[in-house]
Amino acid sequence: MDSIRRTLLGQLARLSAGAALIPLASVARAAINRQPPRREGDSSKRYGMLIDLRQCIGCQACTVSCHIENAAPLGSFRTTVSQYEVEHEETGEMATFMLPRLCNHCEDPPCVPVCPVEATFQRQDGIVVVDSDRCVGCAYCVNACPYDARFINERTQTADKCTFCAHRLEAGLLPACVESCVGGARIIGDMRDPSSQISRMIDEHRDALMVLQPEKNTLPQVFYLGMDERFVTRPLAEPVALEVLDPNGKEMGYEFCH
Amino acid sequence: MAKSSVDTSRRRFMKGTVAAGGAATFAVGYSDPLLKMSKGVTGSAGEKPNHRIHGNSLTPEYTVDPVSGELTLNPDQRVAFTVCYGCTTKCGVRVRVDNDSDRVLRVSGNPYHPLSADEHLPMRTPVAEALRGLSAYDDQGQQNRSTACARGNAMMAQIDSPFRVTHCLKRVGERGGREWQKIPFEQLIEEICEGGDLFGEGHVEGLRAIHDHDTLIDPENPEFGPKANQLMVMEATDYGRSALLKRFTMNAFATRNYGHHGSYCGLAYRMGAGAVMNDLEKNAHTKPDIQHASFILYVGTAPSQAGNPFKRQGRLIAQARAQGTLEYVVIDPVLNTSASHVADNNHWVPIRPGTDSALAMGMIQWLLNNEGYAKAFLGLPGQPAADAAGEVTYTNATHLVIDTEDHPRRGHFLRASDLGQADTGSDADVPMVVANDELVQSTQAMAAELFVAREIELGDGSSVAVKSSMTLLREAANEHSLATYAEQCGIPEATIVDLARRFASHGRRAVANSHGGMMSGHGFYAAFGLQMLNVLAGNHNRKGGSAVGGGQFNGVGEGPRYDLANFPGKRGPKGVFLSRSRFPYEKSSEYQRKVAAGENPYPARAPWRSLAPPTLTEHLPSALDGYPYPIKAVIGCMANPVYGQAGLEALISDKLKDPKRLGLFVAIDGFLNETNRYADYIVPDSVMYEVWGFSGAWKGTLGKMTTACWPVVEPRQQKTEEGEPVSMDSFFIAVAKRLDLAGFGDEAIPDAEGNLHPLNRAEDFYLRAAANLAMQGEPLPPANESDIVHAGLAPLMPRIERTLKPDEHGPVAYLYARGGRFEDFKDHFKGDNLSGAWKRTLCVYNEQVGTSIDTRNGELNRGVPFHSPPKLADGRAMREVFTEEEWPLLAFSFKSNLMNSYAIGLERLRMIKPYNPVILHRQDAERFGIHHGDTIRIESPGGSVVALALIGNGVMPGSLGIEHGYGHRDLGATPHVIDGESQPDLEWLRAGININDLGFKDPTRSVDGTWLEPISGAAVRQGLPIRVSRIEL
Repeated sequence: MDSIRRTLLGQLARLSAGAALIPLASVARAAINRQPPRREGDSSKRYGMLIDLRQCIGCQACTVSCHIENAAPLGSFRTTVSQYEVEHEETGEMATFMLPRLCNHCEDPPCVPVCPVEATFQRQDGIVVVDSDRCVGCAYCVNACPYDARFINERTQTADKCTFCAHRLEAGLLPACVESCVGGARIIGDMRDPSSQISRMIDEHRDALMVLQPEKNTLPQVFYLGMDERFVTRPLAEPVALEVLDPNGKEMGYEFCH
Repeated sequence: MAKSSVDTSRRRFMKGTVAAGGAATFAVGYSDPLLKMSKGVTGSAGEKPNHRIHGNSLTPEYTVDPVSGELTLNPDQRVAFTVCYGCTTKCGVRVRVDNDSDRVLRVSGNPYHPLSADEHLPMRTPVAEALRGLSAYDDQGQQNRSTACARGNAMMAQIDSPFRVTHCLKRVGERGGREWQKIPFEQLIEEICEGGDLFGEGHVEGLRAIHDHDTLIDPENPEFGPKANQLMVMEATDYGRSALLKRFTMNAFATRNYGHHGSYCGLAYRMGAGAVMNDLEKNAHTKPDIQHASFILYVGTAPSQAGNPFKRQGRLIAQARAQGTLEYVVIDPVLNTSASHVADNNHWVPIRPGTDSALAMGMIQWLLNNEGYAKAFLGLPGQPAADAAGEVTYTNATHLVIDTEDHPRRGHFLRASDLGQADTGSDADVPMVVANDELVQSTQAMAAELFVAREIELGDGSSVAVKSSMTLLREAANEHSLATYAEQCGIPEATIVDLARRFASHGRRAVANSHGGMMSGHGFYAAFGLQMLNVLAGNHNRKGGSAVGGGQFNGVGEGPRYDLANFPGKRGPKGVFLSRSRFPYEKSSEYQRKVAAGENPYPARAPWRSLAPPTLTEHLPSALDGYPYPIKAVIGCMANPVYGQAGLEALISDKLKDPKRLGLFVAIDGFLNETNRYADYIVPDSVMYEVWGFSGAWKGTLGKMTTACWPVVEPRQQKTEEGEPVSMDSFFIAVAKRLDLAGFGDEAIPDAEGNLHPLNRAEDFYLRAAANLAMQGEPLPPANESDIVHAGLAPLMPRIERTLKPDEHGPVAYLYARGGRFEDFKDHFKGDNLSGAWKRTLCVYNEQVGTSIDTRNGELNRGVPFHSPPKLADGRAMREVFTEEEWPLLAFSFKSNLMNSYAIGLERLRMIKPYNPVILHRQDAERFGIHHGDTIRIESPGGSVVALALIGNGVMPGSLGIEHGYGHRDLGATPHVIDGESQPDLEWLRAGININDLGFKDPTRSVDGTWLEPISGAAVRQGLPIRVSRIEL
């Protein structure tokens, strides 16, 4: 039973327009808390993502295409989709709930200030990145991220994470996960551009959008439409992939353990 | 943009998390951080990535200027369009290739392709514009995506897999021993064709000796046909190359015995669908027009979990969910991804495996008793009435069926000729109906009575009892009470009524759909019954109803440029299939001998299924047992019945090893699977992206389309002496040429002027088919230089130029530059009707079924759907032989949204879902003392496996769910030794279990066979009797 970081269900409810979106214009300039100044990237942009959970079919195309595009080591993920079973409290009717996750490119990213060598930083377009020339692989950032969005890349021995496929955005292309989203759930874009698809969708659904773990005050910039507020904190649930057995019942462990 | 219909009621609470991406994902990935810190102030101890920020991410394939939209190609890469072999959907994909290494970098969807794109682009779109449309420019790429699914992304690992076979192999030691030696292609061809003492086990007959059309297999049973039928050719499915395989098999070598995976895939569904479509030749079927339907009942199929077309159905159901335009119910023994918590307009209803006919007949009963059917439409007796009503076609609901016991025409429609009003079999010999209380010809009335049961006087003065099709259906539906149906299928009576009421309330925009869940002991009639719901709703050919789709452009027929269907010296196969299908037992010599000897010819020694297509499920076991006749050679192409057919391995593996039962087994494949493990020779094949071919859509698209593929990367395997890659194509060409078979070699393909062209290499065939495709109807324009560059056609152009006529070059390049030919995305409707129409009479009663004979007892099969518990081959109920006391649970399988039957070697899928724990209901867990996460033994009458149990409420009580695609013994799960060198031993490829290991030999058969559905011969895998027990390790 996985009960880490569990908070009371529903306690923190949905994040309406205010908290999540204000930083875009004003707070960003105000150098939040302990954040070092942003550098590199295009200061005229602020990238964010909106995930329409109604259209997520849980197919993991994003997981695999990201893994290929970004050459992640086997068993390490920059994005993934968790699948939950939920049960109606009265009728017992069952359904599934899909939760795609990736780096939230927070407005106040807790992973940045903890970096002893300033390898992890936030670009002026909001994308949180790691400079592998500087990174020493200390994993403070991995620990600091409440979303478990980082890992130490076993090959480079540096912190690794989603970059919103910055290399593709800079080429005028879409991130691998967005490009390959079969259900059409993932929307990326420049939230400073009022005519972008993401800005228009944020406008339209402002009151319905939610972010993960709002109580951490990290101001995530990945917004969920169709979110059940009880999933914004890590839900208390029985995991299913308990073991991998061979034909004789021998436990084999996870093939890609590091 | 989708309108919001977010579920705000939050009715459900979390119960359990399901695996995908669960365990390993986002887990902490660091170790001894302090140690690393000490290595230096900055910089890491690991390998240096390519870029300080972007790490080892791929270099973009092109760039698009955010302001001007100008596209600049990356000169180091190319993008080309071809097909994905990741499942039988066969999506058109765009493949990114590194020019220097010829390695595939990543794969996504082809924007012209209806199975991959949201709204696929018109053919006239320049390729550069199509590529720009996939970019971030103006958000275009996320407003109209073209995608590849997870497996479609992961499949590229096949190309350079350590388990791939790239060389011709000949077995060393006994068959099945997994030991091989490499041999030259030319030696392989010689040995296979000429035979000899090839393995030191005695003489093996080669294909030359078997290719004998003058000698009968068995003079006592001349209907079996010539000796040439003793070659059997099987393939997995038509991924795009079947036309060439069939040219060899059926028309050059001309053996009767061809088979594919259908009979252990979804044949029971297909035949049930064929029964209502009046098409038991090709078993036509339909898919809901999801975008316009308002209610869909999915039974034994689950859009977005799996199914075909996977992406398109998943995407459309997701959009409909977001837009709130559709209510749907998924009826399946296990909860799957199609039931979404995020919206309220969908529900999952669990059903007991193998009892779908009870649900269908329960719903039909309610619909018939409550006028919940399209009364006016069903009352249209013939085409004139349909035309007058603006309908595409009509049903036989009102047609009268002769129902007098022992009448020679019992089961046939009462026709005009029975009343002396027309010549038998003439166009005027139409079925009769009752209109205004008068007997009239169905083409003469504008409306007829639905429910009729009366005595009729015939032309010869005799009288017969007749009943209308609807009456027969109602009688079948009323054979059991609703309570009995509910008890049998495990769905409460009130729920069945509610489903029927809701289905009826949506009128002609209510649709039912089913598929693999029908692979049960009464699956044909279950599928027939479920498809009957569509007939009762009158939704065929209707917007928002059941659609047959737009069909395919055919390049391999008698095309405008080349005739690829005919050639000088073409033969047609003759004789009885090994599976004894499509041939009435009553015409066999065996039957006639028995009758002549005064014996009861029934039951037949083994089932003869006159309605079924040739079925691999019977082919192999029957051939190995020599009934109706033995065979001498098998050629398999990517086929894997040993893994795919429940109970087959235990039944035949010893016989398959015996060279006396089967002299020669050649497998064409890029991989060594559970079936071709037993081969004598392996012909290394191209894998996807390296192949030629043309494929269509398996329904689910409304427009006409054909996908074209060509080798966008160089095949990795050995080459022939002529420099062609060894492959299925080069194998059949080489064999045909060596045996001097017609249709191959220098003068093989006639053009429109009657000149003959060569078929010496694969492209001789496929490029000419491409010319037919490009030039038919309104010919495609020539591709321009920009198209050729942007579609990565540089490697293809010289081959087009050396093979085709000059005026064909441009249009063929245009076709390949777009990955096929696709009818433009447009309005596929004519008013409320679909433009892709099914024009045959829809069947409430299927006369062909109702006049066919059950060879267990000589009685007529039923021509309308009915409910029955699953039965074994001799007609005994399965539960009578395998009692609930001894085998208290029913196992069933379901498709994985990640793994398939040949994907276990893909590490990027294994890393997400490494294993398939089985799913057991909480009540059953308590009953058998099993806890969540326990290791259990599952036993069936045919086998025993060890599994890990997941306990929850997402499964029907009394059943046990097994995700398909795991439990391999080959494809890498056990290393093979080639020239003394072992393949890698990766134990994780052995993970999990395969439901088919729980299949069993049907103990009521006299000729060995697994448990098969009686009408279709489909392998039963839904509802296998089992017991479970916890094991202490």
